[in-house]
Amino acid sequence: MAAVKQTIDQVEQLEAYEHGFVTDIAQDFAPKGLSEDIVRFISAKKQEPDWMLQWRLEAYARWLAMDAPDWAKVSFPKIDFQDLYYYAAPSQKAGPMSLDEVDPELLKTYAKLGIPLREQEVLAGVQGAPRYAVDAVFDSVSVVTTFKNELAEVGVIFCSFSEAVREHPDLIKRYLGTVVPTTDNYYACLNSAVFSDGSFVYVPPGVRCPMELSTYFRINAQNTGQFERTLIIADKGAYVSYLEGCTAPQRDENQLHAAVVELVVLDDAEIKYSTVQNWYPGDAEGKGGIYNFVTKRADCRGDRSKVSWTQVETGSAVTWKYPSCILRGDDSVGEFYSIAITNGHQQADTGTKMIHLGKNTRSRIISKGISAGKSSNTYRGLVSAHAKATGTRNFTQCDSLLIGKASGAHTVPYIEARNASSKFEHEATTTRLSDDQLFYVMQRGLSQEEAVQLLVNGFVREVLQELPMEFAVEAQKLVAISLEGSVG
Amino acid sequence: MSVSEALKSRDASLLPSRRDEAWRYTDLRAAVRTIPEPSPLGTVPAAPGPFAAIKADRALVIINGRGPEVLSLDTGQVLCVELRLVADSHATSHQSDLRIDLASGAHLTLLESHEGRGAAYLSSANLIVHLAEGASLERVVILDEPSDAVSVITADITLSPGASLKQTVLTRGASRQRFETQVTHPGGGASVRLDGVYMLADKCHTDLTTIVTHVGPGGTTDQLTKGAVRDASRAVFQGQIQVQPGADQTDARMGHHALILSDRAEIDAKPELEIFADDVSCAHGNTVGALDEDALFYICSRGVPLDQARAMLVQAFGLEVIGRIETEAVREVAQAWLAEVGAGGSDGL
Repeated sequence: MAAVKQTIDQVEQLEAYEHGFVTDIAQDFAPKGLSEDIVRFISAKKQEPDWMLQWRLEAYARWLAMDAPDWAKVSFPKIDFQDLYYYAAPSQKAGPMSLDEVDPELLKTYAKLGIPLREQEVLAGVQGAPRYAVDAVFDSVSVVTTFKNELAEVGVIFCSFSEAVREHPDLIKRYLGTVVPTTDNYYACLNSAVFSDGSFVYVPPGVRCPMELSTYFRINAQNTGQFERTLIIADKGAYVSYLEGCTAPQRDENQLHAAVVELVVLDDAEIKYSTVQNWYPGDAEGKGGIYNFVTKRADCRGDRSKVSWTQVETGSAVTWKYPSCILRGDDSVGEFYSIAITNGHQQADTGTKMIHLGKNTRSRIISKGISAGKSSNTYRGLVSAHAKATGTRNFTQCDSLLIGKASGAHTVPYIEARNASSKFEHEATTTRLSDDQLFYVMQRGLSQEEAVQLLVNGFVREVLQELPMEFAVEAQKLVAISLEGSVG
Repeated sequence: MSVSEALKSRDASLLPSRRDEAWRYTDLRAAVRTIPEPSPLGTVPAAPGPFAAIKADRALVIINGRGPEVLSLDTGQVLCVELRLVADSHATSHQSDLRIDLASGAHLTLLESHEGRGAAYLSSANLIVHLAEGASLERVVILDEPSDAVSVITADITLSPGASLKQTVLTRGASRQRFETQVTHPGGGASVRLDGVYMLADKCHTDLTTIVTHVGPGGTTDQLTKGAVRDASRAVFQGQIQVQPGADQTDARMGHHALILSDRAEIDAKPELEIFADDVSCAHGNTVGALDEDALFYICSRGVPLDQARAMLVQAFGLEVIGRIETEAVREVAQAWLAEVGAGGSDGL
């Protein structure tokens, strides 16, 4: 217990420097490694109530008894969990001094995406750049205030997770861990113990959220660290569209990202959740790069509820995630639209689970995988219907496109039907970019690279259409950039 | 974890369970608590086998794991063999092993039946088949086993370039039944057709698993499995097509289509593609659903009673697979099998 006492003392000491340069010191003081003390330390730093700490500690105890899963078609060196920082935002000192020091390749990409200079600095982690992207994006804090007022007017709660724990404990207590239980899987359990921060959204009954909760999230995303926790609740008849991520490749010092996203959808409500992920994929030899091990799940608790996941996964060295829908309410609907692009040495094992429990539930899965270079791309999905889930309907389409001799594309669907009135359809194809199509497009005057981009954009169009308008355009550019250098 | 090992060492804990990914829908460890005593010497059954109507050149009988162990065909030899694997045992266990070698240009029509004459047995049958260049094998298998038996049949088939494999398996299931076919496909003009039909009722279970590995360029694989489950039965289809690096110009198609005729029945399917070459064309389709109400209504409106209309549709569903059997006499036997087992189950569906 002496160690615990020591940590608490340490924390108390740190708290004393409230108005100084404390934050940086605090970061230095949280040592590497994971222990019960660290969990207590994180909770104390966030000024969390006791029930939240107990919840974390319970998760930590469970995590100790679990083994890391190894069934996915991805390979990476064993992660040493004692060699990670669990409470430290990316250190400012490690950042480059100005954009001149930033990798020119990265800057080229920014230019292609049309990102303003100031925002480039933020993304590249240049020292002295504004801590919040808001300054770069809107050049004024008042925009945020306007947004906040607009949301408050209709009663939408949208804040950081830590704030929600303090301000809305009833909602957190009621919903946290009810979609992804602490013991759900190894990485979700770890997240439950040490989650740093994230977003909380509550949309009250009958409210249609007046804006896409996207631009705001770019602000929130800063410094949430590697263990993000997101909880979105759409109360009866509510609607919200939420977009996470960024098309720009983002500098990040954390190698492991183990986030948890929980969506709760009540009667007649709808959540549209879009992700654009473009973290650092590692260098040309496959060194470095982010491990993206995320647990995302939606619980369609109410009748006639709907969830739509859309994801564009182009970054990370290893992506391992399955945004899923539990279709519990009668007549509820789950959708999953995915583009996963792997190039270089990237590996992706992603897909979805549609678990039909309610009557007349419907789901639709459209997955487009593109593998180029020496990468490996796997679709893994489950569609299941419970015996009582009569009248369910599923349509699944998984298409894979191969570019290059050394890439791999895999499809591993699981279909489990347990009643006589369900209809499940699944189709999958794997082909390469057709020479005929390439030839046709090129003889119209396009270069080979442009021709590939055009054909690939056609291949993924169905999914891009599902993204919110502003992001669809950026994502389209991103798809093209991700495949640069893969042909010829 | 294999059935052979468990039988040899008489250790039930070596049986695969649902914790083994390849066996997640066929939990043998839960079904077999202890390995039963070894089966005694059986007697040749008096009743003829399901392929008796066809005049085969040779008949091989393996009873309770005892019988011939090798079947070889010389270069260019053409042969029709009736192979009966009979389990004449009650609550005992046995294993059969058979090696089949086809020299180049040989053609074998193998009429294989697994007949359970006893009850509650545990049996394992392993076939190792080698096809030399230009050899061809047409294998039609009827699984006729009691509903309380546990049976695992595996075939490891290696093809040479230019060889051809055509396989159709017909089954009613058992307590736990697994029919696994592993094919090493060299490409080079070799072709593989793997078909199956299952018609399950009561509490029967069957697991049709195929793993086709394309190791060389220019191979074709065509798979079609169809079936229906009634009552509280459960069918499992696991099909994997692997295309290894360099196996370009592979053309592989896989289809699995199932009818669920009862709310207590279950279909589990896992059609898998694992592709490491870019110049390929691979596709799989999988559907699970009920009988088409419109088609039922149409037949009933022509004066056919509902039960009969259902039976007609179920049989027609399976007929597509059977129609792919090339030898007419064999196709007729398969059609008769379908008419018998597809006619109805205990809940009148």
